[in-house]
Amino acid sequence: MHKYVIRRLLLAVPVLLLSSLIVFGLMRVMPGDALIALMGEGGNVGAKELAKLRNDLGLDRPYHEQYAIWVWQMVTFSPGHSIFTNEPIGVSLKKAIPVTLELAALAMILGLVIAIPVGVVSATRQDTAPDYVGRIVAVSGLSFPDFWLATLVITFAAIWFHWIPPIGYASFWESPWQNLQQFLLPAAVLGFRLSAATMRMTRSTVLEVLREDYVRTAWAKGLAGRIVVYKHALKNALIPVVTIVGGQLGTLLAGTVIVETIFALPGMGRLTVEAILYRDYPVVQTNVMLVAATLVTINLVVDLTYAWLDPRIRYR
Amino acid sequence: MPSTRVDRRQFLTHVAWGTAGLTVASGVRPSRAVAATYPDWIAASTKPPKRGGALARASAWDPPVIDPRLTQSVGLFQFAGLVCNRLVRHPFADEASGPGDLALKGDLAESWQGSADARIWTFKLRKGVKWQNVAPLNGRELTAADIKYCYEGYAKEGVQTFTFQEIEGIETPDKHTVRIHLKTPNTLFPHNLAEPVAVIFPKEVLEEDGDLKKRMIGTGPFTLKEHTRKVRVVLARNPDYFDAGRPYVDQYTILSTPDAATRLAAFRTGQSDIIWLASLSEVETLRKTNPNAIVQAYHNTLTPFGVALAQDRPPFNDVRVRRAISMAVDRQKQLDTVFEGHGILGWGVPYIYYQDKAPTAKDLGPWWQYKPAEAKKLLAEAGHPNGFQTTLFYYEYFPQMTSQVQLVQQDLKRNLNVDVKITKLDYTSYYGRYVEGKWDGMSWGFQSGHAVGLDERTYHYMHSKSTKNFFRVNDTVVDELTTKLRQTSDRAEQRKLAGKIVEREYDQVLRMWMPYSNGFLVVQPHVRNAAAGAMRRTDAYGSPTIARIWLDK
Repeated sequence: MHKYVIRRLLLAVPVLLLSSLIVFGLMRVMPGDALIALMGEGGNVGAKELAKLRNDLGLDRPYHEQYAIWVWQMVTFSPGHSIFTNEPIGVSLKKAIPVTLELAALAMILGLVIAIPVGVVSATRQDTAPDYVGRIVAVSGLSFPDFWLATLVITFAAIWFHWIPPIGYASFWESPWQNLQQFLLPAAVLGFRLSAATMRMTRSTVLEVLREDYVRTAWAKGLAGRIVVYKHALKNALIPVVTIVGGQLGTLLAGTVIVETIFALPGMGRLTVEAILYRDYPVVQTNVMLVAATLVTINLVVDLTYAWLDPRIRYR
Repeated sequence: MPSTRVDRRQFLTHVAWGTAGLTVASGVRPSRAVAATYPDWIAASTKPPKRGGALARASAWDPPVIDPRLTQSVGLFQFAGLVCNRLVRHPFADEASGPGDLALKGDLAESWQGSADARIWTFKLRKGVKWQNVAPLNGRELTAADIKYCYEGYAKEGVQTFTFQEIEGIETPDKHTVRIHLKTPNTLFPHNLAEPVAVIFPKEVLEEDGDLKKRMIGTGPFTLKEHTRKVRVVLARNPDYFDAGRPYVDQYTILSTPDAATRLAAFRTGQSDIIWLASLSEVETLRKTNPNAIVQAYHNTLTPFGVALAQDRPPFNDVRVRRAISMAVDRQKQLDTVFEGHGILGWGVPYIYYQDKAPTAKDLGPWWQYKPAEAKKLLAEAGHPNGFQTTLFYYEYFPQMTSQVQLVQQDLKRNLNVDVKITKLDYTSYYGRYVEGKWDGMSWGFQSGHAVGLDERTYHYMHSKSTKNFFRVNDTVVDELTTKLRQTSDRAEQRKLAGKIVEREYDQVLRMWMPYSNGFLVVQPHVRNAAAGAMRRTDAYGSPTIARIWLDK
């Protein structure tokens, strides 16, 4: 097991290096100049001033030097400063990560709380009204884009209830009630989408498992239906579901960009998009690497979870 | 007895008709008569103002940096003018006679005078003006040396160098007198100092921090209590403000809200007190839930956007080609369809500087009329009977812009057989390419939105030597006229000269302006004195007027 984990961690190094090369290269080939954007719309952008600024920020060095400096900064966990705001990137991340983590965690919880019971009910009552309703909800979740659903939710909440989540982020520790109000709707929007795929996967895997011999044996033994479904069938059906959920975390991180914008939450999504728009190289590069490292870690955790779910699985 | 059963086909037919009916009904736009019911100016309240309360606004903009030397972004100047003052300013809503009132008033300056040759400008400062009571200023008195330091700082680096490098030297004969020597005469120089971006910053902060990116301290009506990027800006009333009794509200909060639907929802639910809406249909929809909201039908005095032609190279260096292109574009159609009739046809110099009423289509001259047949003939005379291929790049500053770009493309193809290949860029790519000025073909160009003054709108944006001449105007007549305008102190003569500049611009199609939305300012029913003046939207560069707002509740 330990060997397996170490091997996977070692394998992550080339993956991260490749990601770093891709993001560094893409940022450099993208059209648009960060420094011209920095000078705003005033128009007084002199060539001399631009050259000075470029020199101050080290952007006039050869690419390989810039890359080496940046990799070293990443390795030493000192990613530098934003070109645009001059704020240390660590400080920006410290503010943005908790927002996105909270949103993602709540969305995941809401998604799973909806998806798994509904998926199980759908499977155990196949082709009945509850199954049809569950499937319609699942297809809707897959079909409705986040931006559309979020806009609709916020607009109709304002019209019908004369209420929307309070604008102006407050952390959970500052104001728990305000924080919960701010996160509930966006998490529900993201969770709804997440629940759709998970629900469909739960339904199909539970259906499959319910036809296995050992489940038939359990029924034959006269066990209660709840025990058969939840103890014998569901746990064995969960492996593909865990894979799906792990994979969805990537989608979730992408989805937060839109939802954070609509609900005015200052998370990683907004930070990254703004940095891309203004060609704030260090911020984009750091954020992308952070997401890449997160995904590598999630994949590893998902793989390790299999053994817990199915003791027959062994890592070598 | 006839059957009442509806079969599937009948049901679908009914549904189809019903849907079509609903679509038509919902698609009926409010008539222009409804737009006329909203006033274009909201006079100051006659009631005595009340002190207290908090004002909030959901804002689309976030300041990129809070250093006024480095940006002219509306994100910063939606509040910088409330924390800091200028030497001179334009009238606030409660003291202006109407939206077009641009008479200069003293802000930090009590009085000012120019020499006969308009090269030396002397400003007498108000006495007893204090910096905000925040370290390291700690409420010390503002002096002439502060103004000198600040203006020299603007001249040294940043986005305002063009304006302030015009200064040859600054004298401070005493604590309350600033004497500015210009390199060349400029009768409009005080107007440049009244621009919303020309705010006075303190030397202590710049010297301690090395920049102005971390703190903003000024002499203005509000102190910057909090600035959390992408969350909020909180301004607290400055009790030591020199204009005793003002501001009226205790706190003004700007909530960073990038999504338009969320801003609308925030206004609907009372989280935001001020909102800007682009179209009449949006106003009408909002008033269904907020019938008592106060609406000002804004009327723009200029447009910041138009088609910029690479007029320094073929084919656009031929005036006949520019005229043909201009005549082939149906501006009225854009105005009616894209802006629902509430907009302007498009011109670049604010009309209030050269005539009393907004220009009509006729006032814009022969080359701005939609005459496709004549356009085709003119293009043939210029040697392009079969049209040509060109490119147009743009950044979508607002959603309607894409429709405008596509309408221009259609018009040029249909009327002149000019094939326009459109490229939509993100902001940074667009901006870099546009201001660098090395592009071919066309761009959907802009001129800065912040400027109020005539000098900025003429010399700064049109003189061939100006670094802000993004439309690449290179016309000796315009150079002469804009220079002469700066040397003319007589108001009537200035109006004549401004008119001549505009006539020349129209005649030579130097900047091909496009229609632009007028927009609506909407405020909650209890908000008083919030009217937006010409080129001074209360929610944007005209934010200093917020110091005069009070809440009637």
